[in-house]
Amino acid sequence: MLLWHASSLRVWAVTTIVVEIMAGCGMVIGVGLLVPDISQTAALYCTTGTAVITLIMVGLIIGPQFIAQQRTDGTYEYLLGLPVPRTAAAFAWYTVCLVLALPGAVAALALGCWHYDLSLRVSPAVVPAVLLASFTATMLGYAVANAIERPMVTVILTQVVIFLAFGYAPINFPPDQMPHWLAEANRGLPFLPMATAVRHGLTPGFDNRLAESYAVLIAWAVGSALVAAIAIGRRR
Amino acid sequence: MIAVPAVRPRAGVHYWWDSYREMVRYDLASQRQWLPFLFVIQLLLSAGMAVLYGFYLPVIPPQLAAFIVTGTPALALIPIGFISVPQMIADRKLAGTYEFTLAFPVPRMADVLSSVTVYTAIALPGLAVALALSAWRYDVTLHPSPMFVPAVLLTAVTASAAGAAIGHAIGNPVITNVISNLLVFFVLLYAPIVFPAHQFPSWLAEVNRYLPFMNMATVLRSALLPGLAGDVTHAYLVLSVWAVVSLTICYQVISRRG
Repeated sequence: MLLWHASSLRVWAVTTIVVEIMAGCGMVIGVGLLVPDISQTAALYCTTGTAVITLIMVGLIIGPQFIAQQRTDGTYEYLLGLPVPRTAAAFAWYTVCLVLALPGAVAALALGCWHYDLSLRVSPAVVPAVLLASFTATMLGYAVANAIERPMVTVILTQVVIFLAFGYAPINFPPDQMPHWLAEANRGLPFLPMATAVRHGLTPGFDNRLAESYAVLIAWAVGSALVAAIAIGRRR
Repeated sequence: MIAVPAVRPRAGVHYWWDSYREMVRYDLASQRQWLPFLFVIQLLLSAGMAVLYGFYLPVIPPQLAAFIVTGTPALALIPIGFISVPQMIADRKLAGTYEFTLAFPVPRMADVLSSVTVYTAIALPGLAVALALSAWRYDVTLHPSPMFVPAVLLTAVTASAAGAAIGHAIGNPVITNVISNLLVFFVLLYAPIVFPAHQFPSWLAEVNRYLPFMNMATVLRSALLPGLAGDVTHAYLVLSVWAVVSLTICYQVISRRG
């Protein structure tokens, strides 16, 4: 399945990597322009937050839009007909989304550190954090793309989701800059926990509630995987 | 006797006006399932964008609050013109209705201006709601002048005409979508719409003087809070040039025979 994805996505994959790098680098500088006289803390939030957004963008946005396109051109049914376990197909998809997103996330992080003169203290905790954040985002997108039958609705829904993640989840800025109720609501939604987990791996001691974040992420990942499994297993 | 239908002359103001009205009807009817959806999304996104800029700032001084609020109308109009219009044209190209529509016996500009009209009308309620919401959220008192009407019209026409030029001029619909999405990304971060241009590196601020986005914000801002906007005459001039050039491109592309 990995081979199938890799070869069927050749052109799309290269375009995605390029768009990811451009978007990540563009965002990390652009967000800094919004804030006059940006402080070191704000710059750290912005740099690590942009890396997280870039990391989850493929699984959450570009991936579902690609699956929506597969529904339009009929490849979707063909893929479901292949004699491979559904979980193998899902994990192959996760691997592809992770590999395509990593260059953009690393580029955003490197450019942000250079531009704002930051030094990160990367710990091994970053590995499980990145794997889990990407997995949760990919499963969320996978659930949306498989559960919603109309491709147009998938495209619009994913655009609304990235808008909400960018603007209404405290990824690029500290939660206390939002109204209290919104910050609290974000504790149960997936985006703040993704940022908390990854940021902890990049600059330890920065965020608290690490265990809670991992728990919330795992819950979202399992829930989304279930929704996707039910949607795929449904007979047509 | 066979009744001969009255022959309408295919020229003149009446013919143009009738064609324009027919095209507006066609645009509304052919997209009747999609437009209400777009209307709601536009309403939510415009209001949502105005509020989210505030989250990014640790403190919001009154001057910056005024900038965010008066930048809101431009934020509401730009995506409609630069995303929705080219995507509508790209969809028509994919569905095959594009050539069908071009074959209508109507003046080409009636077709283009009808899209501009429909999409401007869709954007206006979102603009009003977003403006009211952001004025309340950031506690800014506006002093709107009658110049707001021409400012909104010129901004909407320039944005939709530029979007239509992108949609018509680029043959491949997929490329159209990528370009319009990248444009809006650029606009939200790299054009000084909700913050003063002096926060930018000087070369980027200078480039923005000749692009439409900052100038749209300037003409709208000057009509909402006098004294806050920069060089308003320059902004009207640049926008007019962009509008004329975009409409000319639309006209050239759709009257090309092939």
